[in-house]
Amino acid sequence: MALTSADDVVVATHGRGADQAPRPGGPRRRGNRLYGREPVLAWVFVAPMVVVAVLFLIVPILMALWVSVSDWSGRGSPLAATVGFVGLDNYAAFFSPGLAQRDLSTSIRNTFYFVLLVVPLQTLLALGLALVLNSRRLRAKSFFRTAYYFPSVTSSVAIAVVFLFMFSASGPVNSILGLVGIEGPNWFADPRGLIHVVAGAFGVDEQPAWASGSIAGISLWQWLAGPSVAMVSIIALVVWVSAGGYMLIFLSSLQGIDEEVNEAAVVDGASTWQRIRHITVPILRPTTTLVVTLGLIGTWQVFDQVYIMSQGNPGKTTLTPAYLSYTTSFGSAQWGQGTAISFMLFALIVVLTIIQRAATRDRENPSGRRGRRRASRKEVAS
Amino acid sequence: MSRTTHRPRILTLGALAALALVLTACGGGQGFSDDGTTSSSSDDGGDGGDGESGGTEGAELSVLVATGDTESLGAIQDLADTWAQGAGATVDVQPASDMNQQLSQGFAAGNPPDVFWVDASLLPTYAAAGNLWPYGEEMSDVDFYPALVDSFTYDGELYCAPKDFSNLGLVINTDLWEAAGLTDDDIPTTWDELQTVATTLTTDGVTGLVIGDTRDRVGAFMVQAGGWIVNDDQTEMTIDTPEAIAGLTEVQELLESGAAAFPKAVDSGWGGEAIGTGKAAMTIEGNWFKSAAGADYPDLNWRVAELPEGPAGKGTLTFTQCWAIADASQNKEAALDFIKSLYTPEVQVDLANRFGVMPSIESAREQYVAGVPESEQAWLAGADYAQGPVSAVGMDPVMKELDTLIQQLPGLAPADIASQTQENGQAVLGGN
Amino acid sequence: MSDLRTRPTTAHDSRSKRSSGGDLAAEGRRRRASIAAFYTVLIVVAIIYIYPFVIQAGTSFKTDGDSTYNPLNPFPTVATLDAYGTLADVDFPLWFRNSVIVTAFVTVGRVLLCSAAGYALSRLHFVGRKFLLAAILAVMAVPGVVLLIPKFLILNQLGMYNTFSAMIIPLLWDATGIFIMKQYFDTIPPAVEEAARIDGAGVVRRFWSIMLPMAGPALVTLTVFAFQGSWNEFTHMIVARSSAETNTLTTGVAALTTGQFGSGNRYPLKLAAALIMTIPVALVYFVFQRKLVRGQGGGAVKG
Repeated sequence: MALTSADDVVVATHGRGADQAPRPGGPRRRGNRLYGREPVLAWVFVAPMVVVAVLFLIVPILMALWVSVSDWSGRGSPLAATVGFVGLDNYAAFFSPGLAQRDLSTSIRNTFYFVLLVVPLQTLLALGLALVLNSRRLRAKSFFRTAYYFPSVTSSVAIAVVFLFMFSASGPVNSILGLVGIEGPNWFADPRGLIHVVAGAFGVDEQPAWASGSIAGISLWQWLAGPSVAMVSIIALVVWVSAGGYMLIFLSSLQGIDEEVNEAAVVDGASTWQRIRHITVPILRPTTTLVVTLGLIGTWQVFDQVYIMSQGNPGKTTLTPAYLSYTTSFGSAQWGQGTAISFMLFALIVVLTIIQRAATRDRENPSGRRGRRRASRKEVAS
Repeated sequence: MSRTTHRPRILTLGALAALALVLTACGGGQGFSDDGTTSSSSDDGGDGGDGESGGTEGAELSVLVATGDTESLGAIQDLADTWAQGAGATVDVQPASDMNQQLSQGFAAGNPPDVFWVDASLLPTYAAAGNLWPYGEEMSDVDFYPALVDSFTYDGELYCAPKDFSNLGLVINTDLWEAAGLTDDDIPTTWDELQTVATTLTTDGVTGLVIGDTRDRVGAFMVQAGGWIVNDDQTEMTIDTPEAIAGLTEVQELLESGAAAFPKAVDSGWGGEAIGTGKAAMTIEGNWFKSAAGADYPDLNWRVAELPEGPAGKGTLTFTQCWAIADASQNKEAALDFIKSLYTPEVQVDLANRFGVMPSIESAREQYVAGVPESEQAWLAGADYAQGPVSAVGMDPVMKELDTLIQQLPGLAPADIASQTQENGQAVLGGN
Repeated sequence: MSDLRTRPTTAHDSRSKRSSGGDLAAEGRRRRASIAAFYTVLIVVAIIYIYPFVIQAGTSFKTDGDSTYNPLNPFPTVATLDAYGTLADVDFPLWFRNSVIVTAFVTVGRVLLCSAAGYALSRLHFVGRKFLLAAILAVMAVPGVVLLIPKFLILNQLGMYNTFSAMIIPLLWDATGIFIMKQYFDTIPPAVEEAARIDGAGVVRRFWSIMLPMAGPALVTLTVFAFQGSWNEFTHMIVARSSAETNTLTTGVAALTTGQFGSGNRYPLKLAAALIMTIPVALVYFVFQRKLVRGQGGGAVKG
C-alpha cells in the first residue's frame, strides 16, 4: 500500500538517516514524560467522531428500541411521561393473524426471492467480469473497468429514474424485446409472480388445494409465487449496479494470485476453464464469501429503489421489510410496529450472516476481520 | 522546537475543527432558507402541545395542498396572496408529493404546516389523534351542506371547513366518440351498454375505458349494484355480499374483455392522464379532472356523462376535503382568517369554476350551476346518489390492502377480494 | 500438483522441438479466438452498461411524445431544451445549491474527523483504544435500514429536524473512513514520528505537519468517497427533513419522479434532472480515478 520506502519518507521529511531507531521498549512505557499528554489529546482527536456516533447512532437505536415496546403515537417526544410501556405487544402483532402479519410475511417473501436472484447473479457477473478483465493480454482494461463500475458512483435516485424509463411499458427494454418478437410485459404494473406464470403455462391457473394452507398469514401458494414481474426490473437494476463494485473486489484478489501456479498448469495442459475451476476459484473462496456476505446484508435492506420506483406496488409484490418499516411508521403513524419491524429485520440479517458464515466454514476470525475487510474493500474498490 | 510553540498549532487545529462544527450546527434552517417563510414550529420539541394562536399581522402561514397541476396550485396561490396582502402576512403554498407521509412527519416533529387539506376518509383518524384544531364553531355562520358537515364532524365537533366536493362521472373524449360513429343516444346507461361502447372505442393504441385501480373508482360499481364496503354507520363490513361482489365482477369482466384497463397498463399515472394523452377514449374521474385537463391537456375535447346504472340503479362516489388547521400551529388566528376569506360565494364559485369541483356552501349553488357548461353537469347530478368514502378510524390499512387486491384484477377472484377485505375490516371494526 | 519448478524448462524445450508451422499456427488461432471471445463479451457488457446513459442523455433532449414513440433511439427527432427549461420551474437550482452545501460541509468534516480519529487509533496510546476499535466495528455491523427511524427520532428530539444541521452532522460519521486513515497511518514507519517526537514535537504538531501531509493518497480516497457519499445520500435526507426548501438533489428528483409536479410521464424532464445530478460525481470520479487506481492493482503493475 505505501508507495515509497521507509527511507525515502524519512529523508524527505527531516533529512535524517533511517538509522534513527526508536528507543527500545519506548512505546510500551506509559507515564513517560514524552507520552504524558497523549491520552488526553488522543481522546480529543477521537471525540468528535465519538460524539457523533453516540448521539446519532447509539442513542437513537436505544430510543427506537424503546419506541418498539411503547405506545408512542407519533406526537411529541417518545420520552415524554405520557408514553406507556406495552411490553412485546408491538412484536406480538406480527405473530397473530391479521393484516400486519400478512404484510410482513409478504415483504419477507418478496425480499427472499429478491435475494435469491440478486446475490448469485451479481456475484457471478462480478466474478466473470473480473476473470475476463484479469487476462494479461487485454488492452483497454481501464476503460472497461470504468464502464462497469460507473453506475456504483451515481446516486440510486438517478439510476432508478433511468430504469423507470428503460422498463416503462413503451420503453427501450420492451422495444428491444419487440425486435425479437416478444411482447414485453407492462413491467411495473404486473404483479404476477414468475413461478405462477410458469405454472400457468402448465395449466395451473389458480391456487391448488394442496397449497392453500396458510403459513404466517399467507397461503403456501402465495409463498411460492416467485418474484413478480415488477420485482424483476428492480432485480435487474440492482445486479447491474452492484456487479461493478464486487468486480473490483475480485479483481484485486485476482491480482494477488501467484502467476507461477497458473503457468505451471498451462504447461501441464490444463485448459482455461480447468484452471479457473481448480486454481482460481478455490483461491478466491474467502473473497467470494466476503462478496456473498456483503450481498446478503445489502439485499435484505433494499429500500431506495422501492421508494422511488414502485412504493411496494403492484399488489405489494415489491414490498420489502425496510420499506414496510418506513411506511408503517411515517405513513400509518404506527411507530411501535414500524420500529419492531426494523429490529426483527436486524435480527434476521444477523442470523443469516451467521448461518452463511458457518455454511462456508470460514475459519478466519469473522468479527476481527470484518472491519478491516470493509476498509480494505473500500481502498481496493477505488 | 520548544514546548511553547506547540500551543499555536493546537489552537489552529482546534479552531479549525470547532469552526467546522459550529458552522454546520449554525447552518440550520433559518440561516439557509431562501425566502424566509418556513414551517412554523411548536415552542418546544417536547410535548408538541397547544401552539399559540398568534396574531394575523406579520404571521407566516404555511399551507400544504394535495394537488399537482399548476392550475389548481395557481388558483390557491392567488387567493393566498390576496389575503396575505390584506392581512399583512405572508403565505407559502406548497404541493405535497405524499400528503400522508409529510403530515405524519410534521405531526411527529411537532411542526406540521399550519393549514392543510384533509380528506374525509382520514378526518376521524387525525382528529382522534389530536392533530387538528376544531375550529368549526368559528364558522357556524357559513351555510355548508349538512352532508359535508357530517363528513368532517368527529365526536360532535366540526373540525374543519369543507373545501368543496366532487363526484365521479364518465369522462368521454368527444373526438374519439364521434370518430367511432357514436352519438348522444349511445351514451351508456347500463352496464351492458358500457361494455359495448367501450369495446367499440377500443382500437389500436386506444383502450375504450381506463379506470383507476383503487376502491375510489372501482367502488362506484359496487354502489351501482346496491352494495358497499361498510354499512351506513360504518360499524360493520358489508363487502362480502352478493351486491358488492357483483360490482367487482363487472369490473373484472370489463378488464378481461380488453375494452377496459388500469392506468398503469397504458403507461399512465391516473385515468385523467390516460384520456388526456390519447391512450383512453373514456375514463371515470371526478370534477378535479377539469382543472387537470385545462392545465395539462388543453387540446382535449371532452364531456362528462353520468355513470351507467347497475342492477340496483345509479351510483357514484363522492369525495370531499376540508381546510384543516393543525393543533400545533402557532398561527391559528391567521389561519382561521385566511380560511374564512375563502368562503364568500364569489370566491367559492370562482374556485369551483377553476377547479371544476362543486362549492361546499349552499348559497353558491345557484350561481355555480348557472355557470357550469352542459358538458360538465353530469358530475353535479351525481350528488343525489353518491356514496362517501370509508372513514372509520383504523380502516386506512384495510383500504390500502383492498386497493392492493383490486390491482390484481382480473386475475384475482372478486369473491376472494371481498372475503379477505371483510376479514381485515372486521378485525378493525369489530373492536369498535 | 507436481513439482512445478523443474517442469517448465523441459516443457518449453519439448514444445519448441515439436513446433512445426501447423501446430504453432493452431495455437495462435486458439489464442486469437479466445481473445476475440473476451473482447466480444467485454464489449457487449460494456454496451449494456453505457447505453442506458446514452439513452438518458438523448431522451433529455426529446419531447415527451418523442420519448414514448422512439425510446431506443438516442437521437431526438427534434432536439429541444424544454426539459431543461422546466427544471428551473421546479426548484431544481435550489436543490442543487442545497446539495452543494451539504456535500461541502460533510466532505470537509469527514476528512478532518476521520483523519484525526484514524491517527489517534493508529499512533496514539490511550486507555480504551482497543475498546474503541471494537466499538467502531460493532457499530459498522448495524445494518443501515435499522437506523432510518432512530435517526428521525433523535433529530426530532433534539429539535434539529428539517435543518441543515440535521442533514450534515449525522453524516459526519464514517467508520470506513476512519479505517482508511488508520490503516494508511499504520503503514507509515514509526521511525518518522519517533524522530520527530524525540525532537520534542507534540502530538498535534506530529499529526498536522508530518503525518497528514504524508497521507495524501488516503486523503484523496477519503475525499472522493465522502463527496460521493454525501452528494448521493438519499435515505438520510428523507428522514432528516421534509420541507420543500431543504430538498437536496436526491429528494427533489425523487419527488419529481413520484409525480409531485404534475401528471404525465414526463421522462425527458426526469431524465434531464437525473443527468445533471450525476455530472458532478461523474466528474470527480473520472478526475480522481487515476489516483485511486493503486488499490485496483491494475494501473502500475499488470497493465
